[in-house]
Amino acid sequence: MNISEAKKLKEEAVIKSRMMAKKSNEKLNAIVTLIEDDKCENPNGKLANVPIAVKDNFSTSNIRTTACSNILNNYIAPYDATAIKKIKEAGAVMIAKSSMDELAMGGSNLTANIGPCHNPYDLKRISGGSSGGSAVLVASGVTPLALGTDTGDSIRKPAAFCGVVGTKPSYGRISRYGVIPYASSLDHVGYFTTNVQDAALALEVLAGRDDLDMTSSYEEVLEYSKLLDYEYKDLTFGVIDNVVDVLSDLEVKETFLKLIAELEEKGAKIKHIHFDNDLMKALFPTYFIIANAEATANHSNLDGVRFGVSKEGESMEEVMINSRTEGFSSFIKKRFVVGSYSLFEKNQERVFKKAQKVRRVVCESVLKELSKVDVLIAPASGKVAPYIQNEEKQDELTDEYLIAENHMVIANFAGLPSITLPMGFKDGLPLGVNLTAKAFDEVGMFKCAKAFEDLTGLKDLVKEV
Amino acid sequence: MEKSKLEEYANHLMFRLSDEELASLEDDFVTLSAQIALLDKIDTSDVEAMVYPFDVKTTYLRDDEPDHVLSQEKALANAPKQRQGHFVLPRVVK
Repeated sequence: MNISEAKKLKEEAVIKSRMMAKKSNEKLNAIVTLIEDDKCENPNGKLANVPIAVKDNFSTSNIRTTACSNILNNYIAPYDATAIKKIKEAGAVMIAKSSMDELAMGGSNLTANIGPCHNPYDLKRISGGSSGGSAVLVASGVTPLALGTDTGDSIRKPAAFCGVVGTKPSYGRISRYGVIPYASSLDHVGYFTTNVQDAALALEVLAGRDDLDMTSSYEEVLEYSKLLDYEYKDLTFGVIDNVVDVLSDLEVKETFLKLIAELEEKGAKIKHIHFDNDLMKALFPTYFIIANAEATANHSNLDGVRFGVSKEGESMEEVMINSRTEGFSSFIKKRFVVGSYSLFEKNQERVFKKAQKVRRVVCESVLKELSKVDVLIAPASGKVAPYIQNEEKQDELTDEYLIAENHMVIANFAGLPSITLPMGFKDGLPLGVNLTAKAFDEVGMFKCAKAFEDLTGLKDLVKEV
Repeated sequence: MEKSKLEEYANHLMFRLSDEELASLEDDFVTLSAQIALLDKIDTSDVEAMVYPFDVKTTYLRDDEPDHVLSQEKALANAPKQRQGHFVLPRVVK
């Protein structure tokens, strides 16, 4: 079910979606809270009667918002995030709050306090994260649209693993007001759909300046879904060779290169881009340092005093320490320690400031190459979704891990619009491709994505369970 | 990385680490140190730290009128302990 099919079904779409959500969740574990009483508030809106899932880090008035962390297990937001307000005004109907990595700090969805989220293509495999529940609900046909957030690749990687379209627009394009933050200089709101047309339509609803988010943009919001016409000869794709060069799975590499050759045959221009390899290997540590440092500051308000789960103590300090010790998982505490380490006065210049400077070098290099093409293009991952059991056994110092599995952070560093869509299958499991455009050139990004989608014919993929 | 240092970092963030967490973190810091060394290969002399993606001004001064006010009732609705419109904490003077 895509958005236009849901709109035709009217109320039936919502009923069907709720039935599917209940039926499939035992296998998928993608839902934190099922929402049974939300209704369409605008029958003439762009998303009238469209069932939607929302990642559990969006504040939803009177509905639990846990960010899949024990410390927020009882938290009920007193207001709606701006993105929630906008989808309601457009007539969408919330079906579920979806699973995520705890506080959005992960890439597997294995750290959710409700347990792992399962990939509908193979239940033994991960969904990817941190917006895994939203990706899975769209991939399994429960909803045609689901909101997520993306700080490193948290929409675009699970989109690849689950065979759906994952969109992260420019920084500030969608308001973050009411979204539980992870790393404020990298956080973006985005979403999942089953095709590019729906992705363009969703942005029309979600984008726009919001005075409640001082980083939101004044750039004009366009009717993106009416601006998808293209001719291959007018499009230039910049292949990131550094990513292709380090792929160890030759089937993934061949799938990608074959499609690039087909794009060229259709008339599109292909340029090969080779960034400094040391710079590419520095992407992940740059991201990891900045993100964890910002996260430690953002989550200092989770103290067990004003909201959230609280543990007893003899003093205020003890209440806070006990609440935070028991409220965060080991995984989160370790990430926070990394953040604390990089912010310590002794380390700040060598670690945190250095990462911020490398970020600028990366952005300048990327923007220079991006000025010569419409989009940068590369496989979103060098592999299919890993097994749940083996997910944590990765060597995080290989070139493949540092470059092929982490190149999408480029779009977070520079605030660029970026989209992942299906490019093929391996052993019945989806493979994704990623396209990144210039800041606020969502029109160019969607056109190139539509051209790619038309080439593969891979749209509206659904794997019901 | 010494365990006492790791404990110090955690204490600054107001939580404790178990022995297992400390051992796991020691391992993590071996990889992290190697990753941080990758940054040293990038020449950043005369480069300004990048704090946000765009250097575009999106803030403004507005009239000092109350806006989006959260009622006291709503602000306290999630408080673990509350009394007479206040958050309740353990006694300081005993």
